[in-house]
Amino acid sequence: MFKKNANTAPEATFKETWQKGDWATKLSFIIMGISQLKNKQWLKGLIFLISEVAFLVWFFYSGISAISLLSSLGKIKKLTRVFDEKQGIWVTKQPDSSMVILLFGIVSIILIILLLILYYVSLKSTRHLYALNRDGKHIPSTKEDLATLLDSRLHQLLMFLPLAGIFAFTVTPTIYMITMAFTNFNQYHPIGFSWTGLQSFGQILTGDMAGTFFPVLGWTLIWAVAATATTFLFGVLLGLLIESKGIKFRGFFRTLFVVVFAVPQFVSLLMMSMFWDNAGPVNSWLQRMNWISQPIRFLQDPNLAKITVIVTNMWIGIPVTMLIATAIIQNLPQDQIEAAKMDGANPFQVFRSITFPQILFVMGPSLIQQFIGNINNFNVIFLLTGGGPLNSKFYQAGSTDLLVTWLYKLTMQSVPDYNIAAALGIIIFVISAIFSLLTYRRTNAFKEG
Amino acid sequence: MVKPIIELKNITKRYDDGFTALENIDLVIEPGKFYSLLGPSGSGKTTILRIIAGFTDATEGEVIFEGKKINDLPANQRKVNTVFQNYALFPHMDVFDNVAFGLTLKKRPEKEIRERVLNALKVVQLPGYANREISELSGGQQQRVAIARAIVNEPKVLLLDEPLSALDMKLRKDMQYELRELQQRLKITFIFVTHDQEEALAMSDEIFVMNDGKALQSGTPVDIYDEPINHFVANFIGESNILPGKMIKDFEVEFVGKKFECADAGMRSGEKVEVVLRPEDLDITTPEQGKLVVTVDTQLFRGDHFEIVGYDEDGNEWLIHSTNPVKDGKKIGLTFEPEDIHVMRFGEKEEDFDARLEQYEED
Repeated sequence: MFKKNANTAPEATFKETWQKGDWATKLSFIIMGISQLKNKQWLKGLIFLISEVAFLVWFFYSGISAISLLSSLGKIKKLTRVFDEKQGIWVTKQPDSSMVILLFGIVSIILIILLLILYYVSLKSTRHLYALNRDGKHIPSTKEDLATLLDSRLHQLLMFLPLAGIFAFTVTPTIYMITMAFTNFNQYHPIGFSWTGLQSFGQILTGDMAGTFFPVLGWTLIWAVAATATTFLFGVLLGLLIESKGIKFRGFFRTLFVVVFAVPQFVSLLMMSMFWDNAGPVNSWLQRMNWISQPIRFLQDPNLAKITVIVTNMWIGIPVTMLIATAIIQNLPQDQIEAAKMDGANPFQVFRSITFPQILFVMGPSLIQQFIGNINNFNVIFLLTGGGPLNSKFYQAGSTDLLVTWLYKLTMQSVPDYNIAAALGIIIFVISAIFSLLTYRRTNAFKEG
Repeated sequence: MVKPIIELKNITKRYDDGFTALENIDLVIEPGKFYSLLGPSGSGKTTILRIIAGFTDATEGEVIFEGKKINDLPANQRKVNTVFQNYALFPHMDVFDNVAFGLTLKKRPEKEIRERVLNALKVVQLPGYANREISELSGGQQQRVAIARAIVNEPKVLLLDEPLSALDMKLRKDMQYELRELQQRLKITFIFVTHDQEEALAMSDEIFVMNDGKALQSGTPVDIYDEPINHFVANFIGESNILPGKMIKDFEVEFVGKKFECADAGMRSGEKVEVVLRPEDLDITTPEQGKLVVTVDTQLFRGDHFEIVGYDEDGNEWLIHSTNPVKDGKKIGLTFEPEDIHVMRFGEKEEDFDARLEQYEED
């Protein structure tokens, strides 16, 4: 896109346009749309002109103050009592709402950027008009402009709405959330907060949150590796088992496992959470059989709970892998397996040297996705254990909390720490991105693709 | 007689749906020879290979390897190795690992593996290719790697399942020479499955011709070419003129309404037979001197010969190979020697055929 523009020389330089253009062209450098209006491109000219006027009005009435407040995020940070000299009494002043100031500030910056883009577009249009006039070419009318917009430049028209939507609903909130990581927007500064730079990152990595962050990160990685590895390995084995010779009713078995996968995940997770409960069916049955006297604390014991979530996750995740593995196994060339047997491989060696590497080859990229998905696997942890059992050494986190569920607790519980949560979100993103990049580039599928 | 390395006794293969792939196959394979199983697609030749390799169980009959019955021995314990039609190389390993696969499984010392693999690659003329990826190789090179992988295990018998069918014409011809040479150098028994009669004739010590799950004829390429047992073999191997005829007496046969001297005997007089005349045995002469007179219909130039199609007065089609061209529509005479005529009885079994041939050839 950019290359194409760079290769074709513009019809005229901006300098030439400025020096040799008529009064309307020159004026267009300051007041957008004049040149277009003079050349009877009414609609275009009006859009440029109205945009500029509207922007300037907004800018002087609220834009300037919004941006100037952005640096301090509000003067009054706490509930303060000030002496009102006019009335001669003490009044209580609410702190300035930094959230609103931050939002307006960001929106203002985005609006300024958008206007600058529009200004550049109008300049290009002016230059184009100047060149057309200079060469005595036909100047398209508004009607013709609209016609090309519906025809050869339809893609621009169609892209306008999605782009506007992305800016309004994705880009702006993302920037808003990212900026929060650099403030002290927490339980102590719920309304008026200020910029603190990298303090929240410092808090997480070396400060008072480090005692929670590193153990939770460690468990997150253990969980992600274990969950991915177990579902993959057992899914492949199950697929092989069902596909192996002498198994009858393959379709039936496959369906049986897929049923788990067909039930909405949150339903099966909530059910499993009850199933493993201290007073749940497993424990009461074991007690009734007199095999145990005390209920086994499947979800309450910190270590046992970790094992329980991994096992339960296997039950949910294996069918998916099984389905993919089945498809791959069915497509493996039979003669390769025969060639391996011919060379003296027993069934296990065939699996290890031929079948498994090729399944891994195909599933490599999806395994990475699963791994990243498991790092952020909110559902399983939140619905099964809710992150519990609570760990007194952790700040607002339990023994089975992942970074994402911890993040959720940091924002949704009674004492919110939005800045830590925002910083945590960025850290999770960085970790996921690094893992993805490193591993994707190492997979054979990527190399050959 | 040399002690056979493989014997198939009365092998029958029937599938669950009642389809009979093989019927009463008897094969004797001697060590150190090049055998071909020749037949059209679906004739059961690959099934025989799979039974010898141990991938398919015979419904009936015995597979005997060096005097021992091996019907129940799993594939990985048989001393045979296969080169597959699509090579079946492992795409996730490089050339070295592919060839070394079997040796690595047997946990041979690393030095020995290295030596043997490099040697095998040298034998198939791929030295220096050890570290290539399979996807970087051409079809012919993949073929060689597959052969190297098979011979590195030093099998006593090498099974080749149409290994040349995916190669282009020129490469196929080159590989025919190489395979033959390789077999003579290694002194391993080769069992080569093919549907290409030229390939089989060129390379084999002995050919088994198969059709519809039955072994029709076995013998040296020359035997099979010169003395086909029946219509199918005559037609499948080489090109031929096959005509209905009648045996007058020993060494005299009647076809296209004329009596000819021939070299066959041992049949009832007046018995209906089929007569084979190979196109290259027919010589063109003037109509007056010819034993037969045909009118030339079409003529194709095949490079090393002209392929001429003509019709005699009864409307029988004649295929003639000649090094000289003739004119279309011209009448020509055909001559041939008595030995060029080969007489085939209907429904004759191979043993009877061989016995009959032996009987009068001794006389």
